[in-house]
Amino acid sequence: MPNIAVFIEQRDGAVKKVAWQMLSEARRLADAGGGEVWAIHLAPAAGDVAAKAGAHGADKVFNAMDDAFTTYNSELWGTALANFCREKSPDVLLVGSTALGKDVAPKVAGKLGCACISDAVGLTHDGDWTVRRPVYAGKCFVELTPTGGPFVVGVRPNAFVIEEKAGAGAVEDFAASLDGVEPKATVARVEAGDGGKVELTEAEVVVSGGRGIKGPENYELIEKLAETLGAAAGASRAVVDAGWVDYSHQVGQTGKTVGPNLYIACGISGAIQHLAGMSSSKCIVAINKDANAPIFKIADYGIVGDLFDVVPALTDEVGKLKG
Amino acid sequence: MKIAVLAKQVPDSETRINLPAPAPEIDDSGFTRVLNPYDAYAVEEAVKIKEAGGEVEITAITIGPETVKETVKKDCLAVGCDKAVIVTDPALDGADEAAVASVLAAVLQKESYDLILCGLKAIDDDSGQVGILVAEKLGLPHVSVVTKLTLGDGSLEAEREIEGGKEIVNASLPALVTCQKGLNEPRLPSLPNIMKAGAKPMETVTCADLGLEPPANLVQVKTYSPPPARGECRLVEADEPAAAAKELARLLNEEAKVI
Ligand SMILES: Cc1cc2nc3c(=O)[nH]c(=O)nc-3n(C[C@H](O)[C@H](O)[C@H](O)COP(=O)(O)OP(=O)(O)OC[C@H]3O[C@@H](n4cnc5c(N)ncnc54)[C@H](O)[C@@H]3O)c2cc1C
Ligand SMILES: Nc1ncnc2c1ncn2[C@@H]1O[C@H](COP(=O)(O)O)[C@@H](O)[C@H]1O
Repeated sequence: MPNIAVFIEQRDGAVKKVAWQMLSEARRLADAGGGEVWAIHLAPAAGDVAAKAGAHGADKVFNAMDDAFTTYNSELWGTALANFCREKSPDVLLVGSTALGKDVAPKVAGKLGCACISDAVGLTHDGDWTVRRPVYAGKCFVELTPTGGPFVVGVRPNAFVIEEKAGAGAVEDFAASLDGVEPKATVARVEAGDGGKVELTEAEVVVSGGRGIKGPENYELIEKLAETLGAAAGASRAVVDAGWVDYSHQVGQTGKTVGPNLYIACGISGAIQHLAGMSSSKCIVAINKDANAPIFKIADYGIVGDLFDVVPALTDEVGKLKG
Repeated sequence: MKIAVLAKQVPDSETRINLPAPAPEIDDSGFTRVLNPYDAYAVEEAVKIKEAGGEVEITAITIGPETVKETVKKDCLAVGCDKAVIVTDPALDGADEAAVASVLAAVLQKESYDLILCGLKAIDDDSGQVGILVAEKLGLPHVSVVTKLTLGDGSLEAEREIEGGKEIVNASLPALVTCQKGLNEPRLPSLPNIMKAGAKPMETVTCADLGLEPPANLVQVKTYSPPPARGECRLVEADEPAAAAKELARLLNEEAKVI
């Protein structure tokens, strides 16, 4: 019976959506194959997380409440999650591939000496576990089987669909046992950046601008459409290297990997390195004045036209639809 | 001060993968191999620290086949690393992240490095694990996804990219840092320096030389498969851009149901 543990990540009191996505998927797996879904929640205070975790499929919610969990620390978080795995022996610990998750997942695996698989987009169990993930920046996929357990799997945001059900998990306290653990590297402070309101890697809709926007002053067109859609604003490397927007917006092989429901590429040619970062998007729209641009090969919908006409018009139309 | 740079050779970012159907292996015979772009930031940062003054020695460390030597020479030694250790062992073909980290840790343990720099991820496996696993094996603090690094007396301050901002992290040395774009602009090697780099020490070792059993993989590959096929692009045509935009919005709303 595979028991699946899901790490519930919280930043500034808000739970990352990927946690609910992982719980929903774990529930589907457990319903099909038996076993339980556990949520492990590290925070200074419980809040309403246990109730929400229950509604997203957790059979049990382990609350590890400790003031130490106020500001992220790799050593403390890693030790707490490793202790949890040692004590409760889930088959697998799912950790969202967020900034925090990507930092802590290998840390936990290192402490346990167990397998760690990054950035998974699929998980199946038929006696053995199979984990599916993109490699070579999404140019192909690999299916992997970890040996032994518990093992750690990083899960890409938006890979799984959220499902809410009536239900409540049993709540238990979990003692993270951090006495004597030396924090090693410590976060002195956190500074907000100009990365935009919606985080790219977690966004359900992304609007990106490429060299076709011609200059930094026109990135506003991209931002306006993004804002109207409640989307994150991305960019090609050409735009970032020209200094028109901050690197935190770059999508691609050497930028961020995104997998939104909708990706709108405006004035982006569709170089292989750009596609690498967004090809797993569910629906791709290309707006480009060159009908032969490679981006149209991967797009689901396209407009061959001048983005300076099309993007503002689309912003208006979306505005009308959204009321 | 002794700095180690963990450098991996990877297929370049233009690489196309020819995989018409699922297969247990990828045909990599035609790949052009280069230094992992994130590791170039690690190399550059080490060289900048050396150039800032003081007694600094930079060792590039890599695990890979014979063919990594050219990359190490050109992209590590010719831009300022002082020497290189290359672990070449057929037993490490297909080694997973945990196995690679064990071997790198064994190499690192032979010397006492003050700072270990590596890339945030390799652009072939896209794992982003090896650096953090190495730090854990050596019991060292690590800071990942670093875009700014300042060394103090026996300590470091690093800016690390997080969602919508950055964390400023302090750690004591020795420590491991994984490097992100933004940290610096890697220089290109000059032809004379590539020639001269041939004279720098390059040590090639096997697992046995390190007194190590080749570590077992913790993850087995079942199959590689091509990405899911995408349908044809539906071009929205209209006389006026506004009409095309209106039709596109309708399709996204009613047909694709994404807005
Ligand atoms: C190691 C390496 C890593 C890389 N990593 C990345 C990465 O992470 N992300 C990334 O994006 N790139 C990356 N690149 C760069 C990549 O190869 C391309 O150079 C880059 O993606 C091109 O950006 P672009 O599409 O904006 O510009 P271009 O290729 O110049 O395309 C601009 C497009 O805009 C269209 N256009 C122009 N004017 C208009 C208009 N008025 N209306 C509509 N359309 C218009 C043009 O038809 C053209 O198709 C990498 C390259 C290397 C070598
Ligand atoms: N075979 C290797 N040799 C040297 N360094 C490596 C190797 N594999 C990974 N690394 C280092 O670890 C980083 C992260 O790799 P990965 O976890 O494979 O994505 C890389 O950017 C390198 O700095």
